[in-house]
Amino acid sequence: MEYRQIRVIGGKGSVPSQFTNSLRGLAVDTHGQLHAAGDSEIKVFDAAGRLKRRWSTARPVHSVAVAGDGAVYAGEERQIEIFDGTGKLVNSWRDENLLGRVTAIGFVKDGVLAGDATDRAIRHFDHDGKLRNNIGKDNPVHGLLIPNGVVDFAVDAQGVIHAANPGKHRVERYLPNGALLGHIGRFHGTDPAGFGGCCNPTNVAVGDRIYVTEKAGPRAKVYDFTGVLQAVIASAPFHPNCKNMSVAVDARGAVYIADTVQLVIFVFEPVTL
Amino acid sequence: MSEPLSRRDLLHNVARGSVLATLSGGALFLVQKAHGQVVWQVDAARCINSRLGDTGAEACKLCTTECVVALSAVRAVNEYAKCGRCNICPAYFNITSAVDEKGLPSEKLCPRDAIARKPIGKADPEDPANNFYEYVIDEEKCDGCGKCVMKCKEPLGLGSIVLRVRYDRCVGCNRCAISRACPKDALMQIPVEEALRPPEIRPSTE
Repeated sequence: MEYRQIRVIGGKGSVPSQFTNSLRGLAVDTHGQLHAAGDSEIKVFDAAGRLKRRWSTARPVHSVAVAGDGAVYAGEERQIEIFDGTGKLVNSWRDENLLGRVTAIGFVKDGVLAGDATDRAIRHFDHDGKLRNNIGKDNPVHGLLIPNGVVDFAVDAQGVIHAANPGKHRVERYLPNGALLGHIGRFHGTDPAGFGGCCNPTNVAVGDRIYVTEKAGPRAKVYDFTGVLQAVIASAPFHPNCKNMSVAVDARGAVYIADTVQLVIFVFEPVTL
Repeated sequence: MSEPLSRRDLLHNVARGSVLATLSGGALFLVQKAHGQVVWQVDAARCINSRLGDTGAEACKLCTTECVVALSAVRAVNEYAKCGRCNICPAYFNITSAVDEKGLPSEKLCPRDAIARKPIGKADPEDPANNFYEYVIDEEKCDGCGKCVMKCKEPLGLGSIVLRVRYDRCVGCNRCAISRACPKDALMQIPVEEALRPPEIRPSTE
């Protein structure tokens, strides 16, 4: 399995399609539109990479996710802002204790998930923002091991949560009630199938496979659900000092990766041989 | 400009555990120095081993080879508040060495075995990754070669390990031999008052 780079979106600069200081979160909606969280803005690009609209968030934004009904959730410090598809603010969830730095958002059948990097946990809220349970805290270290400072996860079609646990060099599988089902991944400093360094993978996306990004050196890889490496998607285009590169995948298998130093979104697609 | 510290302030600073943790015996040495005097120190933002942007380069060993003191007065220091306390620390392990039966790298990085590793709290025998680890640098063994500093810096690590001049070992040359050799002018003269300000508070390991 091989991938090729097909597009570059964004970049560092001051024009509307670019990012000034940060590019932290990516999400693809059911229409194939890419939502990018950077600076204090959500930017929406069409499948060809053209900026369609953008809007401001109240605070610097760390993550973005699009619900099935089109609502756009933006993760920030101590709050989540909820917008409709046009960028109109419809709700805000604020909580000093349960929402620290919200670095990932996802959805399960009965609620909303938020990655709280401050407490190294995933919060499972109901649709009104009331806490149901925590995920990833019931262990001897009382949370996910994230020296990199980001909690990231993705939810598969069956509602299973795949959470990066970089300090353990794993992607762990959880049920929404917090039960740990298992994991893929192991440490290895030279084998591409392993996760290297102190703490990898940092970010994860799920489609028909599991997509991850790593730091130092930065690269993106894809695994099947049993943990067998399918491909190293890319490493060359990423800035060597990149870390916490958000990754998203669309229904066609195209992979979007945020370079957090160059503030660029690289788009790759699988090569059909 | 910051206000000059009184001798009482200096003593108060020294009494703080954080000062003792980061300055070791050098703290008392500094208090004995006159107000307004200067000491040599490494600027981590300039040092090629710790500054961001030199990923992949070999560690610079000039602090080891150029110091007039037999075993260099520059040593590696772990600023605990920044340390990720990782299971697999790139400054402790040679992370590209073969993986052993426990899933850990089989070789250590430090050529002088100057870093000790121990679990914080009770280790999980079934899964060693289920734990934080403390990394302590043995000053008596460290010669300031910078290998661990290079591997600890962002983005591979968190940059908690840096090179520092140990004031009780430095003989205070007018023109530091390391500073003359350093390609990045990272050896700086700083006022004693500044040297006494603790960089980090050592956290509880419980």
